[in-house]
Amino acid sequence: MQIKISENNGISVCKVDGEIDINTAVEVKKIFDNLIKEKKEKIVINMEKVDYVDSSGLATLVELLKNFRKYGARLKLVSLSNKVKSLFEITKLEKLFDILDKEEEALNTF
Amino acid sequence: MAQQDIKESISITSDIKEIRKVSSRIVGLLMERMVDKALIFDIRLAVEEAIINAIEHGNKRNKRLKVKVSFGIDNERMEITVEDSGSGFDHKGIPDPTEDKNVLRSHGRGIYLIHRLMDRIEYNDKGNRIKLTKYIKKQ
Repeated sequence: MQIKISENNGISVCKVDGEIDINTAVEVKKIFDNLIKEKKEKIVINMEKVDYVDSSGLATLVELLKNFRKYGARLKLVSLSNKVKSLFEITKLEKLFDILDKEEEALNTF
Repeated sequence: MAQQDIKESISITSDIKEIRKVSSRIVGLLMERMVDKALIFDIRLAVEEAIINAIEHGNKRNKRLKVKVSFGIDNERMEITVEDSGSGFDHKGIPDPTEDKNVLRSHGRGIYLIHRLMDRIEYNDKGNRIKLTKYIKKQ
């Protein structure tokens, strides 16, 4: 699992490549904790290359969302595969997260 | 032509890193039968979640205790049984993670996902064994 982070007009764009599950959850949290320490306020997580998420992965994303919200940061998830998106629907997490089809849409709607 | 029915069993230690040994074999069997990728995703997730529960809640991460996974596949269905060495736990006592008061909680989605993704779930009375059934279809 790899995460590449770039800045685009004050927006942190994080491209995740790999699985977000019980094996990678700690690493994912550690990487995003750096953005929280830097008090980044606009974050996009591009999940185009994430083909598997389990309940630990969902829990990690919920923790991130809560931590970003604590200081008023906004998080958007983009390019989820149909299966990964269906997990957000089944668990009703789609109501909590701002989920968009394309990265461009996220960049244009902050 | 109908493919041969397969029944296998794998025992692993209570180590999260061992889970992939089982799920890779199961995913391999499903791929050989050209099962729909969406169904393979569901089965892999349910199996891995069941094993995680067995390791964490059943065996309390005690690496001396084993988790036994037995599975069988035929042209209609895949059945997987996950059994830990613990004293069993009450699966009915788990709060619904989709209720408004729980949706922001970090844990509690594993069992819920298993129930949503599988066609049939059976527990033994002790609560240390879960049997998952998923009906499969060819692409």
